[in-house]
Amino acid sequence: MKLHELQPPSDPRDLYLPEMATVTQVKKLTALETLYTVEMPDGRELGHQPGQFVEASVFGVGEAPFSISSSPTQKGEFEMGIRKVGMLTEVLEGLKPGAKLGIRGPFGHGIPLERFQDRDVLIVAGGIGLVPMRSMINYVLDNRDRFGKLIICYGSRSDDELLFTDELAKWEADPRVDFRVTVDQGSDAWQGNVGVITTLIPGLDLDLDNTACCVCGPPVMYRFALLALKSRGLPEDAIWMSLERRMKCGVGKCGHCQINDSYVCQDGPVYHYPDIKNLREAL
Amino acid sequence: MAQFFLATDRVADFVAHLMAQKPVFAPHPKGRRSYAFALTEQAADVVLDYPRTLHSVKKYFLPPREELLTFDLTANSGAVTEPEPTDAVFLGVHSYDLAAVHRLDFSFGHGNPERNYLTRRQGALFIGVSFAPDRFHFSGSVGIDPYDMTGCDAFLTKLDDGWVLDVLTAEGEALMDGFDLEPFTGTKPPRGHFTQHIYVPQAKLGDIMKRSHDHEVWAETADDCVGCGTCNLVCPTCYCFDVQEHVDVTVTQGSRERSWDGCMLRGFSEVAGGEVFREERAARQRHRVMRKFLYISAETGHPWCVGCGRCTQACTAGISIVDIVNRLVGDAERTAVAPV
Repeated sequence: MKLHELQPPSDPRDLYLPEMATVTQVKKLTALETLYTVEMPDGRELGHQPGQFVEASVFGVGEAPFSISSSPTQKGEFEMGIRKVGMLTEVLEGLKPGAKLGIRGPFGHGIPLERFQDRDVLIVAGGIGLVPMRSMINYVLDNRDRFGKLIICYGSRSDDELLFTDELAKWEADPRVDFRVTVDQGSDAWQGNVGVITTLIPGLDLDLDNTACCVCGPPVMYRFALLALKSRGLPEDAIWMSLERRMKCGVGKCGHCQINDSYVCQDGPVYHYPDIKNLREAL
Repeated sequence: MAQFFLATDRVADFVAHLMAQKPVFAPHPKGRRSYAFALTEQAADVVLDYPRTLHSVKKYFLPPREELLTFDLTANSGAVTEPEPTDAVFLGVHSYDLAAVHRLDFSFGHGNPERNYLTRRQGALFIGVSFAPDRFHFSGSVGIDPYDMTGCDAFLTKLDDGWVLDVLTAEGEALMDGFDLEPFTGTKPPRGHFTQHIYVPQAKLGDIMKRSHDHEVWAETADDCVGCGTCNLVCPTCYCFDVQEHVDVTVTQGSRERSWDGCMLRGFSEVAGGEVFREERAARQRHRVMRKFLYISAETGHPWCVGCGRCTQACTAGISIVDIVNRLVGDAERTAVAPV
């Protein structure tokens, strides 16, 4: 029987065809991570929320999901902080300003800003988890009167792997930011905290009734960070988490990012912790 | 709609009549033991009385490999490969396989409707055929009868000396135009019995599945499973895919293609850093079965398993999805607390 009710979408934009954006700046962050500044065609705004991601591709090499690192308050261009881990990211590292980059998105649900508004904002970021969280941090800093205190806990394996060191220094110096950083192993030159990220949490000055928290990092980090936050008395419904999965298509079809019945590319990557705490395979 | 009689010795003429109008995809023998849907070239090659085909008709709407884009590396530009509508007759489709197509219609039609699938799906006409359940079929347990004509333009029901032809839609009627048919006045024979059953009404399955995440059956099944992904490959409702780049030998042109993928394969849930979120085969087995009986079913009210029996028949380790589900059903019934 003919498919009368289901017609192909009338939207001429194809789900899988990237728009050709332009790389305007390439800045090395660490030995492995690079920050890319990207302009959409015709200077169009990407139109994202903090916590969302895009699919970036180089023809002939491949496509992969990357979180957006800049705040939507930064107009004209957006940024992605990318770690070199495979073929595509290695090719990306060699891109020069002016290079074309395929972009689809933004996709998924980012941080629900309305739930963070008028509350103290606590960001807990482990390693490369700072990349998407930086979008939220700068969003809060650019809309300072809409949020309460901004508390940032950042943990890194070592001090030479710290990302966005210029900005870390600014946050540290900003009287409106309670910025705390620790490294698992410090070099001889490191003067700051040494220890895993959970060691930062007991000493935080938290208004437990009026804080919204977002956690992002590798599984080994967020499992312990969650425990530390809960034992500190932060209610579960004050916690959001950004999860990493292999969002291949970005449009809820390919199945790679699925956690039980949830497609991370559609429902996530930022989830309210109470919604996923009992999902097997989520955390 | 009208009912006709098609004698066995007129089937080839009937197929030829259809072939004169549109391409006809129908079951053909494949090797010594199997059947497969293929484009009909000789009317006499079509087999209407068959247990099941290796793959369902899904392969025509979601091809095993499909070009999504082509790109020109010199100009750094890409273009969508426009899918073609399938203007064809699918003859001899079993009810569970057509039910599977309807499941895929939902998966590709809701959320972000997908042009590729929905375009290919346009214009497909279906002539269903009844089947005699064998030792693998259990579609009756998921609400799909061997005589179910849902979604068909016409339907053939087997008799001893031929077929009852139900003409069900205007498109079906148009296909029969010019083919001389005598009306059928008898009654259809009773449908065959299933020997495979899920021992609980399908409405109860979701609740049982919800309580079965930590059941030992997943680990036990995983001990037998070799993680080959064949169950995904033969499933008519599996639609997960991978996307890859292909560059031609001149390194100037290439394409972005998708191909079928399977959640039973270890690398399916692997992320760039090397973390595999369903590392254990038990977790993958659970995901596959839950995907068929809980996740999408909770949203749509229909099990995403259509009871074709392919995964069980094809499993090299002898794993039966019916046995897994019945094990969960049995244990859930035993431990169920009587309502107060």
